[in-house]
Amino acid sequence: MPNSFIRRSLSNRIFWVYLFSGGFVLGTVLLGLFMSSVTIPVPHIFYIITDQVFGLQLAENVPENEQRIIWNIRLPRVLLALCVGASLAIAGAAFQGLLRNPLADPYTIGVSSGAALGAVIVIFFQLTILGLGGFTLPVVSIIGGFIALMLVFGLVRIASRSMAIETIILAGIIMSSFIGAIISLIIALGDQDAMTQIIYWLYGSVGMRGWSHVQLIVPFMLIGVFILLIHFRELNAMALGEEAAEHIGVNVKRGKNFILVGASLLTGASVAVSGTIGFVGLVIPHLVRLITGPNHRHVLPLSFLIGGGFLILADVVSRTIIAPKELPIGVITALIGAPVFALLLIRNRLGKGKSI
Amino acid sequence: MIQVKNLVGGYSDQPIIQGVDLTIHKGEFFGLLGPNGSGKTTLFKLITGGLPKKHGEITIDGKPISKLSNLEKARQMAVLTQEAHVSFDFTVEEIVSLGRYAFQKGVLKSLSKSDRAVIEEVMELADVTRYRHKQFRTISGGEKQRVLLAKALAQEPQLLLLDEPTNHLDVKHSFYMLDLLKNWQRKHGLTIFAILHDLNVASLYADRVALLDEGRFQKVGSVDVLRNEKQLQDVYEVEVKAQSHPIVPKPQLLMTPHNEGVAQSVDLKNSFHIDQNEGVIHIAFDQPLRTLSNSVVGEGIQWLKHFCNFHVQKNYDGGDPVDDIQSWLRHSGISLEQTAGMMTAVKLDDMVLLEREYEGIQLVVMVTAGVGNAVDITNEQRDENMSKIGTINTMLFVDAHFTDGALVNASISATEAKTKALHDLKVKDSYSNTPATGTSTDSLLIGATQIGEKTPYAGSGTVVGKAIGRTVYEATVEAIRKYRVRQELS
Repeated sequence: MPNSFIRRSLSNRIFWVYLFSGGFVLGTVLLGLFMSSVTIPVPHIFYIITDQVFGLQLAENVPENEQRIIWNIRLPRVLLALCVGASLAIAGAAFQGLLRNPLADPYTIGVSSGAALGAVIVIFFQLTILGLGGFTLPVVSIIGGFIALMLVFGLVRIASRSMAIETIILAGIIMSSFIGAIISLIIALGDQDAMTQIIYWLYGSVGMRGWSHVQLIVPFMLIGVFILLIHFRELNAMALGEEAAEHIGVNVKRGKNFILVGASLLTGASVAVSGTIGFVGLVIPHLVRLITGPNHRHVLPLSFLIGGGFLILADVVSRTIIAPKELPIGVITALIGAPVFALLLIRNRLGKGKSI
Repeated sequence: MIQVKNLVGGYSDQPIIQGVDLTIHKGEFFGLLGPNGSGKTTLFKLITGGLPKKHGEITIDGKPISKLSNLEKARQMAVLTQEAHVSFDFTVEEIVSLGRYAFQKGVLKSLSKSDRAVIEEVMELADVTRYRHKQFRTISGGEKQRVLLAKALAQEPQLLLLDEPTNHLDVKHSFYMLDLLKNWQRKHGLTIFAILHDLNVASLYADRVALLDEGRFQKVGSVDVLRNEKQLQDVYEVEVKAQSHPIVPKPQLLMTPHNEGVAQSVDLKNSFHIDQNEGVIHIAFDQPLRTLSNSVVGEGIQWLKHFCNFHVQKNYDGGDPVDDIQSWLRHSGISLEQTAGMMTAVKLDDMVLLEREYEGIQLVVMVTAGVGNAVDITNEQRDENMSKIGTINTMLFVDAHFTDGALVNASISATEAKTKALHDLKVKDSYSNTPATGTSTDSLLIGATQIGEKTPYAGSGTVVGKAIGRTVYEATVEAIRKYRVRQELS
């Protein structure tokens, strides 16, 4: 039967895509641990990690400084890149699916800037909300991102009844500029030191964060990813439009709220730990859709994997390209992402062009 | 199936739907009609739940629809609207699979075997299996609509709600789709509630219709509601004529453009010319005439400009008269579509053409007559070996405005006059030797200019009826006389 054959070959293909993605993540993690100014042999890296994780005492012969570099500096950095890239990519996929908008991503629709404002306020004023402790930063960030998102939606609704693709992006840009101005104002009020620190942070970086930041993002990432993954069918249905989605049985309002909350959690937590890293959420889901088609059953998890690996790679590039200096990682992603964004925009304008 | 009681609702404070009562029975195809802005889509959305209602109640199988969750609703009813935009490059199969959303169970929410079987069946039915792996975006409008229909049917609904499902489709795709729906309705007892903008399509497919105007039902009932010309004119503000479909016993509506004003008077005598040769008498009018005839070509009720009477040999075997006349017309360069064609074995030279005027009514009549084949229609004996030659062909053109009924009246008047002529000339049925009433193959055509006041009467009690009678009588007598002279000469 040709049909089942096609189906089997299709699911086979998907299997290989997952396998490749998993390998890609593993490979980039190793690369991220390996590549740096101080070269540490791969077996040593392996020993150090198994040692720390399973307590196997294999790393007795490895120099103390190598252990510190790998375990205290490189591994958290790589894992943070992984978490941030994965979160932004899956959030981008969810925003795109929900808004039926291939140009949407946390950065272009203004969520990142809202989260950044939240984070800047916490960092600048050294805020700590009682009961949250260290989690004040991601929580305020998430709330900032969510408020920005609601404001963007409000703006779009006033501007045009239909959630037109360009209108959402435009509202996102307006929101980003406005919040950017507020952040500039806050920076201007501070001293020179704080200014450099915040500006550099805003460019986005996963360096010099340590395990504490990994701990900050992981819980939000797990919750956000879980929320999005269980709503893959709702995201698929949204492709028909909200009304048609209701007609096939989707509780659109509830699904929409969950997806927005999930995507905001991921974006806010990412921004809180790494600053605004743009375009990961735009480029990665697009790439995944080119390979697997638009079914969110695969687009979401694969965006997660590829996004994580991609940001590790971007981080490796950012710290090796002008070594010993480091480039902010956001510069790398923007250098790749902005042209892709332009390309998508052009294709979208040209007769609702090719596969988006 | 669906009960709507005193429904009020709409977008703003001013409700568009103002108190609608409606019952849709299980298994019926219910058509919702009405002009733009009458509230069709609003009513539709009130039923699907797309708009909140102000008052009233909508129940489906006795349960208030507002109490059902989207999921419960989707298991019972499916909705198909005008062409929808689908974002991203979903394949046809993926779109159809979305119809199973409400039925998927388990943690992974994957498609079960029975889900797949349903998807295969509806894709096959909607004839979209061929492009199952194609991207929805790349297929044509008609194909898209079939895919969305397949998606709706994949919900295995008991109730299907359609909002102008054939709006963007051409005739072929519209009928394909509606036929498909109709079959599914009959096979599965599906209840269909459809907004249809085309009254004629509604008449052909709906079991019952409702006519909505300004938020209220003007009429609910069988499709014979569409025979009420006056009401349709009031609602749609277009001049409407209801006719019967020639094959299906359903009404069909003909709309008259507003700018098609009454023509000026015409001088019948000077508005035609005749080409006559041995083979054909060709009467060509400047403007089309409304005709009723039993001629070989152009029979029934028509608008025609050309009227031809072809000569055939006495041994004409009558193989395929329609084909023959059409090829002769083509040969003479006369429009097939605008011509009535008769045939006769009588010498065309013996044609009688009379122009008369009675009380301001102009008439032109053309008769060729042969009575070698005269028959008494009231005599029970029938000549099996009757020769086919010898026939009375009458073409009568009147400057009058006839209804369809008046055209029938006119043909009765003409026939009575012909029979009187045969009687007065003592033409006999040669087989039974009784007075003949006509010949076995007489043809008659009535053509009216449709100018002046419209009349439903053209019988013997009217001026025009009498005029027809007298003119036809005179021409027939003269034609038979000429025929007899020629018979005696040969």
